[in-house]
Amino acid sequence: MITQDIRPILSALLRNRTGAVLVALQVAIALAVLVNAVYIVKQRVDKIGRPTGVDIGNIIVIDTIGFGAGYDHMATVRDDLGWLRSQPGVRAATVVSQIPLSGSGSSNRLFKTPEAKGEGVPMNYFLLDDSGVDALGVKLAAGRKFRQEEILPEDPTFNQPVPSMIVTRALAKSLFGTDNAIGKVAYDALGRPVTVTGVIEHMQGSWVDWDKLDHVGLLPRQPSGPNATYLVRTEAGRRNAISKLAEEHLSASNARRVVQHVRPLDYYRNRSYQSDRNIAIFLVAVTALLACVTALGIFALATFNVNVRTRQIGTRRAVGARKVDVVRYFMVENWLITTGGVLLGAALALGVGYSLSRAYELPRLDLYYLVGGVVALWALGQAAAWQPARRAARIAPSVATRTV
Amino acid sequence: MLAMRHISKVFRTDLIETHALRDFSLEVAEGEFVAVTGPSGSGKTTFLNVAGLLEGFDTGTYHLDGVDTNGLSDDARSRLRNEKIGFIFQSFNLIPDLDIFDNVDVPLRYRRMKAAERRERITSALDLVGLASRAHHLPSQLSGGQQQRVAIARAIAGDPKFLLADEPTGNLDSLMARQVMDLLEQINEMGTTIVLVTHDPELARRAQRNVQVIDGQVSDFRPYEPHAQPATFAAAAAG
Ligand SMILES: Nc1ncnc2c1ncn2[C@@H]1O[C@H](COP(=O)(O)OP(=O)(O)OP(=O)(O)O)[C@@H](O)[C@H]1O
Ligand SMILES: [Mg+2]
Repeated sequence: MITQDIRPILSALLRNRTGAVLVALQVAIALAVLVNAVYIVKQRVDKIGRPTGVDIGNIIVIDTIGFGAGYDHMATVRDDLGWLRSQPGVRAATVVSQIPLSGSGSSNRLFKTPEAKGEGVPMNYFLLDDSGVDALGVKLAAGRKFRQEEILPEDPTFNQPVPSMIVTRALAKSLFGTDNAIGKVAYDALGRPVTVTGVIEHMQGSWVDWDKLDHVGLLPRQPSGPNATYLVRTEAGRRNAISKLAEEHLSASNARRVVQHVRPLDYYRNRSYQSDRNIAIFLVAVTALLACVTALGIFALATFNVNVRTRQIGTRRAVGARKVDVVRYFMVENWLITTGGVLLGAALALGVGYSLSRAYELPRLDLYYLVGGVVALWALGQAAAWQPARRAARIAPSVATRTV
Repeated sequence: MLAMRHISKVFRTDLIETHALRDFSLEVAEGEFVAVTGPSGSGKTTFLNVAGLLEGFDTGTYHLDGVDTNGLSDDARSRLRNEKIGFIFQSFNLIPDLDIFDNVDVPLRYRRMKAAERRERITSALDLVGLASRAHHLPSQLSGGQQQRVAIARAIAGDPKFLLADEPTGNLDSLMARQVMDLLEQINEMGTTIVLVTHDPELARRAQRNVQVIDGQVSDFRPYEPHAQPATFAAAAAG
């Protein structure tokens, strides 16, 4: 029944096409932008939402620095950790060399043989103590956590080799071709061996844009001063209260040490994803704006068409069109215009997507997005034409005889 | 066939009430050709709109081909218009973006007719009005008289019982007007009941019956004369 209606609607449309062509072009551009924007936003959202492997919602980062000749780093760290660990609601606390997900960190290369040939495997490493695994909340897949006696002070001259490490599954795979790595030995650039004593399921390291973000190693060392950074993992819901308490206590407990920041680990992750989030927000805003403008264009064209066809609509009613026939006329006409637009837009979207993927090395556009975009614009078009179509249906049949 | 009894219709605007029809009663029998005349503003178009179900009315009864039109739904009225009534308008009211063929097709599509039957009806209607060769011209490519003949083809293609025409020759010169009138007579002879509103006494005289509307009422007192004195009208209305 609908298809039978299409032919005369289409021929009338083609005889009077300027407005329709402009709106179809607008629809085409909207589709091309919409599809690519949604695709990019989806990628950013996925990137931000990747699992961190750590108990991201319950970790406090405390940044301190000591000063003056009387500052005793080892004693201060011991006292601080002692106090932190004794607080109710604290599950674990460690001193750490770098803040995960913060954008600053350390890395070196590990090799399969003592000769240290080839590229090696990059490792983003963190120095921490025997509470490190618990304080991060990472899941141990095999092996053991560090023992207290393994934890030695960091050697800033790097002369003293580190005998043991805990690695992520991903790093183990890259190093040994298997994540079954307990007892396996890797070598640093100087050919000194380090034995894997633990494997953790997953942990994100320092740099969110690095493709080896999950190549993380934990080393049993206490970082040297005068900076001390603590990771404190709390029970759920206690983070903010303990942050406040810790800031108050640590600020007062040692006159030769200042507390620089007490922040949730979330803060650092959010900061690292700032630009990803901004791009996503920007694209969503642009797309929403474009959708509004397109809807407005469709609405304006439909309104214009209803206005210039007042007599025609009255005549159609007079010769037997029901209200629903009038509504259908405008909905079908609008559907034809949007369909013309989405066909052009689909070609455009594929073209834009293809060149974007080449220029920025993004993966190619998924066809589902195109199908979704086409459906969305059909719906947008029908929604925008609905009110003018209803208005058209309210035009009285007597308009046919009353207007001259 | 068409029976109006004691119809009244009032147009209300903010300031005034216009009694466009008052106690209006008229019957038109099957096969009749009735010409309706009357001064401007007397209610002729209003009568035709009520008769053609384009407008409702306030009181009275109206039976169209045996159907009481009171309380019919909008859809039912649309269907009655489509099946029983053909309209011819003073300004033709062809759809400018559709060719002649598609214009005649409009009411047939609303009747959900099969394509083959529509084609046959369109061709024979265009044949009757002598424009079959122009089927794929646009209205703007035809003269006024030709356009009105297309409109007549559109009105009769659905084979309605009634043809309602509101000053169909008002926009035509006298030669074209006569041609249109010839056509209407021909259609009437084939059995279609015609109600024609006209200002032209010459055309009105060609109808079987003249009805004069004055001040929203049928006045069978005397035929309408354009040169009559207003005083006579006042007397006629009062009588
Ligand atoms: N939609 C309307 N709103 C208000 N008043 C109306 C409306 N339509 C018609 N009228 C009034 O109703 C009265 C009858 O109008 P109608 O159009 O029926 O007259 P007519 O006999 O057809 O006149 P003409 O010969 O000029 O076409 C007039 O006074 C007119 O002003
Ligand atoms: Mg009139």
